[in-house]
Amino acid sequence: MVKINGMETEKKRILVVDDEPSITRLLKLNLEQTNEYVVRAENDSEAAVAAAEEFQPDLILLDVMMPGLDGGELASRFEANPKLKSVPIVFLTAAATKSEVHARGGKVGGLRFLAKPVELSEVLACLKQHLGEGTNR
Amino acid sequence: MNIEPVTKSKKQTTEQATLESEQRYKRLLASVTDYVYAVTVEDGRAVSTFHGPGCEAVTGYTSDEFQQDQQLWYRMIKEEDRPAVLEQAERILKGQETPPLEHRIIHKDGSVRWIRNTTVPRKDAQGRLVAYDGLGYDITDRKQAEERLTRAHAELAANEEALKRTLEELRAANQELKETQLQLIQAARLESVGALAAGVAHEVKNPLQTILMGLDYLVPNCPAENENLAMVLSDMREAVTRANTIILGLLQLSAQTDFEMKREDLNGSVRRALNLVKAQVIACKVSVVRKLDAHLPPVKMDRGKIEQVFINLLINALQAMSPGGVLTVTTRAGQFGENLKVNETAFRQFSRGEQVVLAEVQDTGTGIAAVNLPKVFDPFFTTKPVGEGTGLGLSVVKKIVDFHGGGVDIQNAPLGGVVVTLVLRAEPE
Repeated sequence: MVKINGMETEKKRILVVDDEPSITRLLKLNLEQTNEYVVRAENDSEAAVAAAEEFQPDLILLDVMMPGLDGGELASRFEANPKLKSVPIVFLTAAATKSEVHARGGKVGGLRFLAKPVELSEVLACLKQHLGEGTNR
Repeated sequence: MNIEPVTKSKKQTTEQATLESEQRYKRLLASVTDYVYAVTVEDGRAVSTFHGPGCEAVTGYTSDEFQQDQQLWYRMIKEEDRPAVLEQAERILKGQETPPLEHRIIHKDGSVRWIRNTTVPRKDAQGRLVAYDGLGYDITDRKQAEERLTRAHAELAANEEALKRTLEELRAANQELKETQLQLIQAARLESVGALAAGVAHEVKNPLQTILMGLDYLVPNCPAENENLAMVLSDMREAVTRANTIILGLLQLSAQTDFEMKREDLNGSVRRALNLVKAQVIACKVSVVRKLDAHLPPVKMDRGKIEQVFINLLINALQAMSPGGVLTVTTRAGQFGENLKVNETAFRQFSRGEQVVLAEVQDTGTGIAAVNLPKVFDPFFTTKPVGEGTGLGLSVVKKIVDFHGGGVDIQNAPLGGVVVTLVLRAEPE
């Protein structure tokens, strides 16, 4: 629960993990500007599990290609963590194209994907679709 | 002085003179070493022939043999040449002029000899034909030399023809080599661009993501009264979209393995692609003519990728035409190079008679300058105005078609515009 203008509103908590600080910063600004989300940005994938445990997100936006732990390995760690295993993950990828992702209904290999560069409207639609889904798949 | 009484008549004297003359003549003939013969004629008919001793050197037969066998001279003539010899004899018996005749005889030893047979008529005081003389001159050596010459000429002509053919083949091989070389260079270029693209795509997409997210943040925070700012932001968004289109093209070039090959109907892909560009067709005010063969055999292909091929080709065609243009899409099936004729040099991967499916996309635009035709499949080559094309559309088309083991060719149509021909192997029904 987050207090806004004296009223307690339930905002969804989004963890954004991407090694590009400009991307996480702008995602945070954009998502929080909607007043529907609280965003935590994390640029160090090694620190992402601890950040997630502390932040307890409702959904994780996770970049795929990152130095150190990549998105796939990090997703495995989230799934192995009892506190995080039910948090839906949406991968942000530069490796696939929008048409490839769209052609597969937003999922590749059973995983949710957004193809970079992604517009805010797509991110918002995706969050609405997947928030509350119990599993990562 | 004894004076012999005149007891002989004038006629007897003349006959005596004639006889002596003939005997002298025969003696003369006998002394000639060439093959000479004399034919005695009575009432327009040959009654006897005398062959001089020179006949043996030419025919192998002696005078006596000819004397004993009056038909020997005829049998000796090679069968095919007998009519000509008979005609010559008939002409002379009729008192007509006879040019020398060259014909063959079979020598006594069995060999074939060539003879030049010249005849001369002998007439009496009244102008009647009483005999004719013939000279048989052995021209075998000359004839053989002529035949050798003729054969040599024929051989020379054949050699010249063979040389011409070899030269043509050499030219064709050279052309083929050049084209193959160009194709290899093009393939290598595509590969290197593809490999580069895969690496670059990720690096470029992240900055694009930042710009896009920045725009998403700025747009709602832009003061409504500042129209210029809104326009700038809109232009920036368009630039991001365009940059992303280029990245998309590069990624398609680099795509190696994600092809899902299934037996599909090529017409289905054509129809879906046409449906997807319907809005552009309306916007460009062109009409579409579909000539789709209803009995196409299936093709093993990645449906999505082949649709991408058609979309690229259709968009190119639409962009090349002015309002009122006609876009014609044709599909056909047949045996390659037989009932389905194409520019075979562009489709060397197919064998003559192979069952194939062909698709053509033809526009009525201004066509492509001949100098640019070899470059159209090069990555980033475009003849479109700046900002209208990435120069990757046809590279992607070629990449996808190559992956399918097919071929693609682009030519100016005879009556204007461009025709792109796509050929894929047909699957057995």
